[in-house]
Amino acid sequence: MFITQTLRLACCLLPVMALIACSSTEAPLPRERTSAAVDFSGAWEVDFSQSENIRDSFDALLRELQRQVERQNRGMKQGGGSLSVNANSGASLYALARMAEVVTEPQLLNISQSMTDVTVKREGSFALDCEFHPGQLDRRDSPLGRELCGWDDHQLVFQLYLPDGLSVYHRMTLDPGGDRLHIATTLRSDQVSWPFNVDRVYRRYDPNSGGIRCKQTLSKGKVCTTERAPR
Amino acid sequence: MRALSLLLLVLALVGNTQADESGYLDVGVVVFDPGIPEDESTHSALEIFPRIREAEAQYLPVTLRRELVDSGEWGVVRVVPEAGPLSELTVEARMLESSGIRQRIQFTVRDATGRLWLSSQYALEFSDTAITASGIEEPYRNMYQQVAADLLSFRRGLDARSLSEIRQVALMRYAYSLSPEAFADYLATDATGRYQLQRLPAQGDSMIERVKRIRNQEYLFIDNVDEQYGELHDDMASTYRLWLQYDREQSLYSEDYEVRAASRDKQGPRGSFSAMQQSYNAYRNFRIQEQDLDELALGFNNELEPTIVETSGRVFRLTGTLDSQYTEWRGILREIFAIETGFPVNSSATKNFSDPHE
Repeated sequence: MFITQTLRLACCLLPVMALIACSSTEAPLPRERTSAAVDFSGAWEVDFSQSENIRDSFDALLRELQRQVERQNRGMKQGGGSLSVNANSGASLYALARMAEVVTEPQLLNISQSMTDVTVKREGSFALDCEFHPGQLDRRDSPLGRELCGWDDHQLVFQLYLPDGLSVYHRMTLDPGGDRLHIATTLRSDQVSWPFNVDRVYRRYDPNSGGIRCKQTLSKGKVCTTERAPR
Repeated sequence: MRALSLLLLVLALVGNTQADESGYLDVGVVVFDPGIPEDESTHSALEIFPRIREAEAQYLPVTLRRELVDSGEWGVVRVVPEAGPLSELTVEARMLESSGIRQRIQFTVRDATGRLWLSSQYALEFSDTAITASGIEEPYRNMYQQVAADLLSFRRGLDARSLSEIRQVALMRYAYSLSPEAFADYLATDATGRYQLQRLPAQGDSMIERVKRIRNQEYLFIDNVDEQYGELHDDMASTYRLWLQYDREQSLYSEDYEVRAASRDKQGPRGSFSAMQQSYNAYRNFRIQEQDLDELALGFNNELEPTIVETSGRVFRLTGTLDSQYTEWRGILREIFAIETGFPVNSSATKNFSDPHE
């Protein structure tokens, strides 16, 4: 598992990363669009060959941090300013990577979309749903977290703010051919100066290709049939 | 089916006779207004599942109808697709809230003279006693019993003359709906907008006898419509009650979970994996719980949609047939009236006495 393998690497870099300080760039909020710009409807499965894995993302971030430290060290030697120190940033970055693994775990998506709303059902997790309100973002508040969503041009953006400083940002983009869905997921923690990004690519699949169609009923649960769908 | 229709016709005629003799009134319970806001963006916040509301709007009038029938204090009680001049007492309702936690409904009841019997909100919390070992009973039955009791209480406050007047006005409004030219002079409205009889047709008046025959035919159709709503109610009952039970369980669990999760001790220092995972999982579980209700609503729709669509189709066919026959009857009646009285067929009536809301 990537987590145990990378633990050692992260620990080695802890002292380095403790020196890192950079301004955290807040994720841009979705713009206020009123209608569906793109139709994401359909069943989607992860295309692993085109998706980033967490380890690669983590490694890339560590390399970037290392470069940043070196640049800043050079700057200090030349009389630059001082660095603020966050002793937990290394552990928190590693924690953020582990959280990214949890958040991006769903491999199957089922998206239904109308002119007024969209629901992104994610296997094994909660669905991302968004209603398109004229001139404003869809907002859902609870003591356990706050969700915002809306269109940013042709992209659909979901933002989740959790207590204790964690936020999760999903940006969904449909490729021009309509058969690839890109979801860029960004996690931020107020204990880490750097966001953690993971890009996943999904391709369309036919959930009924096995010849079985199922539907949910209230009294009988899921009811499946091998009969063809009525045209 | 034909035999059943014949039986219903006989029952309607008998019921009508009984109503005439006993002072009981015929009641029309109009399919409820589901109270779904046009702005779809408000549905989630109001916890409205539109298709379930629409189904409830056809189901609940039958619940009230059965309470009225069970009381034995009324004439023929029918569920009708819309208000019309046929009923001596018309019950209309708008759904304000309906869930596994509570139900709140605005009832408005008027008699044929336009007298307002009742205009009130009724609300009831879900009764846990409705959940029994063998399943779930009608959890809001007491509310419908209360409406029935209030209607009865009002009716008991009316003297025999008032009740008789209601029936006579109902008949003349119905007659007016068939032939405004012939029956416009029988009714007028007072300053408060209530209908008053100006005069009565002579005993054995042939026109009124025809009107009564046509009204009995219409009762036959409406009884068929009413039967459709009754069947829908029976088909829906177990699934609907299950829905209320699930909705209740989900709502109570979600409220409870939200409070518990928000006040739970933190599992690690801020920014640690444990702390973030705890906070993410709490939110994820909370949302899954919320969304399970959407799944249940979908299950409800999947299960009952075919029945509801079929019922709507049947009701539409019946009322459509009724409308076309009604137009035909109206034409025939006017012609007969013109032949009998020499009255012009196209005389204009300025007041629509047949409009239940006028």
